[in-house]
Amino acid sequence: MQTALQLLFTALQIGSIYILFSLGLTLIFGVMKIVNFAHGQFFTLSALLVSVLVPWFAHHDVPLLPAYLLAAVIAVAVSVALGMLTYQFGFRFFQRDLSGSFILSIGLVLLLEGAYLHYFGGAVRTVPPIIAGDVSILGVTLTSQRLLLGLAAIVATGALYWILMVTQFGKAMRAVAIDHEAAMLQGIPFKRIAFQGFAVATLLGAVAGALLAPISVISPTLGADYLIKGFIAVIIGGLGSVPGAIIGSLFIALVESIGGFYFDPSIANLTIFILVMLVLMVRPHGLLGNR
Amino acid sequence: MHKIFHNQQVFLTLTLALLSLGSLFLRDAYSINLAIWMALAALCAASLRFVTLIGELNFAIAAFYGIGAYGAGAALTVYNIPFLPALLLGGVIAALVSLVFGYVTLKTKGPYFLLIGFAFTEVMRILYARSDWLGGNSGMVGIFPPSAFGSYFPFFAIGLCSVMILALYLIERSSFGKVLTAIRDNDNVVLSVGINVHMAKVVCFGIGSFVAGIGGSLHGFTNNVISPGDFGFLLSTFALAYLKVGGENSPFGPMLGAIVLLALGSVAMGMGAGEHIFYGAAIVIAVLLFPNGLVGIFSWGYKKLVLDVRSKGEALHESRPAAKPLHKKEQVNG
Amino acid sequence: MFTKDRIAKVLAGSAAAALLTCGASASHADEIIKLGLSIPLSGAAANWGKGSEWLCNAAAKEVADAGGVKVGGKVYNYKCVAYDNKYNAAEGTKVAQTLLNRDGIRFIGGSLGTAPVKALQSLSEREGALHFTTAWGSSIKGPKFPLTFTIMNTVNEISFPLTRYVKEANPSIKTVSLLNPNDATGQETEALARKAWTAAGVQVISSDWYDRGTTEFQPIASKMAAAKADVIDLASTPPADSGVVFKELKVLGWKGVQAVQVGTGAEGIIATGGAAVDGTYMGAAMVFDSALTTPKQKKLNDAAKAAIGESLNSVQISFYDSVMALKAAMEASQSIDPKLVAAALPTVKFESFYGVASGFGGKDVYGTPQQILIPVIVTQIKNGKLTEVRRIVSEEMKQRK
Repeated sequence: MQTALQLLFTALQIGSIYILFSLGLTLIFGVMKIVNFAHGQFFTLSALLVSVLVPWFAHHDVPLLPAYLLAAVIAVAVSVALGMLTYQFGFRFFQRDLSGSFILSIGLVLLLEGAYLHYFGGAVRTVPPIIAGDVSILGVTLTSQRLLLGLAAIVATGALYWILMVTQFGKAMRAVAIDHEAAMLQGIPFKRIAFQGFAVATLLGAVAGALLAPISVISPTLGADYLIKGFIAVIIGGLGSVPGAIIGSLFIALVESIGGFYFDPSIANLTIFILVMLVLMVRPHGLLGNR
Repeated sequence: MHKIFHNQQVFLTLTLALLSLGSLFLRDAYSINLAIWMALAALCAASLRFVTLIGELNFAIAAFYGIGAYGAGAALTVYNIPFLPALLLGGVIAALVSLVFGYVTLKTKGPYFLLIGFAFTEVMRILYARSDWLGGNSGMVGIFPPSAFGSYFPFFAIGLCSVMILALYLIERSSFGKVLTAIRDNDNVVLSVGINVHMAKVVCFGIGSFVAGIGGSLHGFTNNVISPGDFGFLLSTFALAYLKVGGENSPFGPMLGAIVLLALGSVAMGMGAGEHIFYGAAIVIAVLLFPNGLVGIFSWGYKKLVLDVRSKGEALHESRPAAKPLHKKEQVNG
Repeated sequence: MFTKDRIAKVLAGSAAAALLTCGASASHADEIIKLGLSIPLSGAAANWGKGSEWLCNAAAKEVADAGGVKVGGKVYNYKCVAYDNKYNAAEGTKVAQTLLNRDGIRFIGGSLGTAPVKALQSLSEREGALHFTTAWGSSIKGPKFPLTFTIMNTVNEISFPLTRYVKEANPSIKTVSLLNPNDATGQETEALARKAWTAAGVQVISSDWYDRGTTEFQPIASKMAAAKADVIDLASTPPADSGVVFKELKVLGWKGVQAVQVGTGAEGIIATGGAAVDGTYMGAAMVFDSALTTPKQKKLNDAAKAAIGESLNSVQISFYDSVMALKAAMEASQSIDPKLVAAALPTVKFESFYGVASGFGGKDVYGTPQQILIPVIVTQIKNGKLTEVRRIVSEEMKQRK
């Protein structure tokens, strides 16, 4: 029983980052019908900036928690700005062009990864935990930092849900995702929605990166592993579906947690890939996809 | 002369023949290898383009290229099968696997098919890495063409690639090819005519994968050493890059894109970490500024330089008997 | 006026111009000998590559400052030429072709990554180029590859002495759990680590694999903690990942003897593991602030740290040793023919980074003397600092002295 609980908690923790990441991916696809491989780069940039700024602030005698918050805000702002740049000068012209947008995003990945390596160097960095110490829940130990991360993910997901279901903006986004031509006929400012949708998605990715910084090893190639898992989560759940992204993320996290424990991480990865293929064969649009 | 340009089939055949024969004149080992890599890259891009006829982006191409390479390599080094059968075996195994894979996955479309191809590529890569009899992560060594080939192997490799690119083009032009493009445009209409759309898609996919498999076998014999990391999703990505930069609307696109990007890559080799930035920037710029790829630029250039000048010349010719002052003004402005 | 068309035209024109002017570089072949490097300069192993290139350049400068290499009445200097092999065979082949055929280089100062090394070796042996490598694996050396030399201690040299020492220092240990990344280095290390621990009287109760690039180590840490072994040996797991694993293990409550058999550097592991890595043994790391550190080592390390952001590790150090070994062999054989230089390498003595004059040996293990003879340095992290606890000199080295 103890082991099962431990595995469940591990899965929830791992899953919370995947959720934040894949929500951004699915949102971009829903609104613009493109597959953005460069999403991981905004996530990485945010994490890198936090890992550079926090020690710098600490060096200037700023206490840890404010330093972290300030660094996170700056990091997220810069990442989102970069994201909007790529939208304005790139992705905006490739909506609904799958192969074109995809290859553009690949080019961006190469470009940005090389740039990060050049400016931040290849050495790994860490951020000291903002909240030190461990916490014991139901007999399972986890670091307070990870607990915070899990809570943050829940809050972000809840906020996104509220935006999509309740606000005018969210409803417009959903309309565009379902049928953008009909939405245009209804007078929805489709271009502006696409712009704002991309911004929200990038914001989610950047926030995920800032939250991940204190608990993980930060290097310029951080985005790659999460990118692949994030895409798989989104496919399993169905591109464009928010509940789908959440289910997909949790599913992968569970496989990783259980597979990693009973077998090893390498086999767990292999299993995830095979499972996604099986899911798609049975349900070609993912579990909750609707195209 | 421009009639040759207009008869695409003849022009393509001539170009391929010239490129293949031209390789015989290369003397230093580096250029020869670079030429073969360009031919293999063009082949991958052409295979990718072939599958776009049914409107799908085949991201699993790296997996089948890898199956071809490991198939031929294992046949040669583990089972001691001679060169030609081993080469063909690589392609055949790739084709068989692709028929099964295509049959179950071509029910999905668009981004789902793209990402399932991606997942399959990674699965194959992990499988190679975990298979000790294939050399595992250290790679498989000793894949050499028979010494009887001597210095004619490069010509053989490039020639074989050219033949396959031409074959893909001919299939595209045939009535089967027309069925495929009809499927891309609206598969329901094709279904209503009584054609088995699913099987047509699977066959198209199988042909593309067979070609990729043969390419992979050639890759093995050219490089002599292969490793699982060679056949990851980046290979599919670069094939797509060659296609996009070259121009996906023309059969010349794959070749042009492959040649230009590999040449750029060769120049960028000495830049260390800058190589990624350079390559990435090249792709971004190409995609943003040249939507029809390099072929688009060439045909635009051809139109401007040759056709417009000729038409202006004809206009001048015809209007000579007209009033002189008008004529002079035209000449000044023209 | 800045329409897309215009910008496209300008760019196409300037690109064409740039390509045309990138002609062949002038070569001053008489006085300069180029040393080729096939190393990862992107991706997860980029920093290893950067550091290696930096050290090669530092060594080449040291040789030049000391008056160069004197062969046959002429003075030669070295120039390091490095290309990115991206840790796979296809890129490794491209790098090999570029170094050996396009650039005409006949001496490989160092190569990193088993798959690209094999690709390079396939070509270098055929073309008669001398090849220094850091790749492990007995299959890289032997009479079939007379021109390949390994310039760092591999798991073959480190494993047995280190496990013996750990058992001596902790006599009560009986069981060990292993973890390795799922790649060539990992596979070679695991096989040897097993044998070494068993020979030392410690039973291997589990051995796991993870894919490089993983950042979530909780599941595997849970599994290893549940096995309750006396020793956890992370073998060839890179320092940064090792720190994370030990930290997770601590949270889960595991206590025992910690080792990273062929761990190469302390900074990464301390940065990610904090207090959890105290007491960890490592076999391939180098201490730069102990009583045994020479001024030269400290100076080089400080400069390297400023350039790449972390201290040097034994992988990168080998790129310095190869230059020094090459110089000694060229002067001993009075030749710049790779084959003659290779013949001189086994018996030549030179000043390696570790300060000890050494040569190449290992005939009993590999069939031909192609393994550099340097001491195995066993280190342990004590109170957040890496300290040297034992310097083990092999029998062959003792005989050479």
